[in-house]
Amino acid sequence: MQNKNISSVLKSVQKPGRYIGGEYNSVIKSKEAVKCRFAFCFPDTYEIGMSNLGVRILYDVINRDPDVWCERVYAPWTDMKEKMEQYDIPLAAVESGDPLTDFDMVAFSLQYELCYTTALAMLKMAGIPIYSRDRTEDTPIVIGGGPCVYNAEPVADFFDLINVGEGEEVLLEICHLYNEMRDNGTYKRAAFLREASHIEGVYIPSLYEVSYNDDGTIREYKPLYEDVPKKVRKRIVSDLDKAPYPEKLVMPYIETVHDRIVLEVYRGCIRGCRFCQAGMVYRPIREKSPETLCKQAKCLFDNSGYDEISLISLSISDYSELPRLTDDLLSWTDPARVSLSLPSLRIDSFSEELMQKVSSVRTGGITFAPEAGTQRLRDVINKNVSEEDLMRSVGIAFRGGKSNVKLYFMNGLPTETMEDIEGISQLASKVISEYFKLPKPQRPRGIGVTISVACFVPKPFTPFQWEKQDSLESLEEKQKHLKEVITDRRIKYNYHDSRVSRIEAVLARGDRRLAPAIALAVEEGAMLDAWDEFFDYDRWVSVMERCGVDPDFYTTRGFGLDEVLPWDIIDIGVTKAFLLRERERAYEGKTTPSCAEKCSGCGANKLGGKNRWCK
Amino acid sequence: MVQVNSDRLTVRLKFRKTGSLQYVSHLDLVRTMHKIIIRAKLPLYYSEGFNPKPKMVFAAPLSIGTESLAEFMDLRLSEYVDPTLVMERLNSNMTSEMQITEAYYPTAKFTDLKWMTYSISIKTAGACLEYAHKCRDILLSDSVEVTKNTKSGEKSVDIRSLIKSVASDFDGEYMTLRAVLSADQSAFLNPELIIKVLREKAGILADPDLTREYYSIMRISAHNGDMTEFR
Ligand code: SF4
Repeated sequence: MQNKNISSVLKSVQKPGRYIGGEYNSVIKSKEAVKCRFAFCFPDTYEIGMSNLGVRILYDVINRDPDVWCERVYAPWTDMKEKMEQYDIPLAAVESGDPLTDFDMVAFSLQYELCYTTALAMLKMAGIPIYSRDRTEDTPIVIGGGPCVYNAEPVADFFDLINVGEGEEVLLEICHLYNEMRDNGTYKRAAFLREASHIEGVYIPSLYEVSYNDDGTIREYKPLYEDVPKKVRKRIVSDLDKAPYPEKLVMPYIETVHDRIVLEVYRGCIRGCRFCQAGMVYRPIREKSPETLCKQAKCLFDNSGYDEISLISLSISDYSELPRLTDDLLSWTDPARVSLSLPSLRIDSFSEELMQKVSSVRTGGITFAPEAGTQRLRDVINKNVSEEDLMRSVGIAFRGGKSNVKLYFMNGLPTETMEDIEGISQLASKVISEYFKLPKPQRPRGIGVTISVACFVPKPFTPFQWEKQDSLESLEEKQKHLKEVITDRRIKYNYHDSRVSRIEAVLARGDRRLAPAIALAVEEGAMLDAWDEFFDYDRWVSVMERCGVDPDFYTTRGFGLDEVLPWDIIDIGVTKAFLLRERERAYEGKTTPSCAEKCSGCGANKLGGKNRWCK
Repeated sequence: MVQVNSDRLTVRLKFRKTGSLQYVSHLDLVRTMHKIIIRAKLPLYYSEGFNPKPKMVFAAPLSIGTESLAEFMDLRLSEYVDPTLVMERLNSNMTSEMQITEAYYPTAKFTDLKWMTYSISIKTAGACLEYAHKCRDILLSDSVEVTKNTKSGEKSVDIRSLIKSVASDFDGEYMTLRAVLSADQSAFLNPELIIKVLREKAGILADPDLTREYYSIMRISAHNGDMTEFR
């Protein structure tokens, strides 16, 4: 911790360890020796940001360049924010303690829509104008990236530059261009942004003019200049075996959310769940080899001292070499007292074997995500989980001594009826019956089933992107009905706040006309909206009303199939034609095979990317 | 902890925890130390049982907001490693704010540790040598009452017997109190309570503006009951 001002207030805030920096493996460079100072901001708390894999990867990649120094910035908790305002302490980077205005680039990782207000609040705390248009030659370039920017339009006016897709290569290219223009004296903010727009995966919102039809829908996106691309194609790293992966991890002193080694096994997903944005935007799937993974795991273990390795991917069971990978890892992790956890593991015969083989394998509890209560609706959403699969799996889990099952569902899916809602309760009851099918001595004690139901948000770049979101009334009625039909006290029922999902939908599906409402929310104190205690639905409704934004327009209205969508400016590889085809199949109740079974020609193959499936 | 150390597997480490690490809680320090030892590739001794834990025992945990030059940890290894090598390996896996300063085979028990010397620096309105002496005199008067928050509500306690000695000084900006306070396991005195007493009785740190007023506490040394150095 270098910032003297902060040290005087640390004694008066909760969890001061969040703000101290100085962690083992954090990167310190000489600011005189680098050409570009890069502030990587995570618009949430230290504990959450430190756990984010994307940040870990990009921090490492950028710092490999001797000309660039990447530092981390997190959102302070509200008590710290108050103190900083009281004593005029600007938001600063963890490593140097320097205020963000000292940096050349200030980049935000936008992981969920509800973090937008935090990102803007952080800019304000740093004394950087929140609107791109208000920044001057000596303000840092403000960059946005992460999963949210596949539709960045609601926040487009706040960012100078948006990195669409994977950042490993793009961010460095941006820094190199910057350094080059600085070196040869051609740097001017506008000239730099214009030049950067030629880098694949870079979107400069200010270089487009958006016009609207009389009915409020979008007419067109027009690039201001000939050389600015009409559509921005996302970037991917084509060969993950060759891509850099951190060898060291910044070691937090305080406990963070995922305080362990996280090994990314592959990117993308072979499934094509029709509600899932990640499953579409990260296509095509790219796997790492077991050799690469073992090497990376060993190296991270040596440099971190963590005693837990978590294998992560969208659906770890789909990794084509899972048995070999786990065998190779277990050969040294077990003797070294390192435990393996496979959070998204499907419970099947393989995992049963694995669970029995070594006690150090953690499956993260028994959780399943059937997402819908009936087979009909599961077919509509292309969630290839059958009731038999589920019953077989819970049977294995029960025999393995686990007695608490968690089931995840979604409410408000397209074509959903009350029958589907009741199906959720029935499925939970069947899980309980499955338990009682076991002979009594074999039953683990204390059966419990927890049903957790989220509200469906039709996300951009999914086959359901055109769908209406259920109204609050309808969602609440369904939640109430489900509550009524669950009579078994062994079934616990949790559901998400439908009002949060509604605001999420507006922010996920919105266009540039949302910017004033978001800015006003921040003006009126919005921050850390992803935290229940700070989310204020009434404030959101109020700021939208005052800024002339009708939330229904982005939620319950649905989008026309031939309408220009706010996110049409982005090309994720997967084509609109494919999404439309998938939508039709959904309504016909037809499932689509996974990429491993058959290529469905989604279009993502044109991005390249080393894998065994794309045709 | 085993104190009979004929197997030479228990190594005592004296370390410092300074600068921003004063904001790291004891619990977090324990977790951090565990990772440091794994990184250092030392042969750790693990307890038996369902959830094996490495054997690390700390003396007199430090509360948040206090720096220290005299922390102690006994580490049990599963095979012999020269203490100097243990120290070197650990130090190369720590940042400069936490470093081992001595490593040796313990002869004293942690229960022998009775007193700790602290340096308490205070920057406050009106600071001067007389003010520093007044603070000292308050701490050395016949009784030193302070309100303590306990589970059963606020309670007034007399901590005088837990204060062995206090010396006062002023350097032009900071008043410094060098205080020897009880570190006995059954009567541990948190130095933050000294600040509390002086807030209540000497009016220090009354300005709510944290940028104008400041205090810091540093644990300097540890002693046996007869005030010889604890090792
Ligand atoms: S091109 Fe085919 S195999 Fe590749 S991601 Fe698309 S559907 Fe899957």
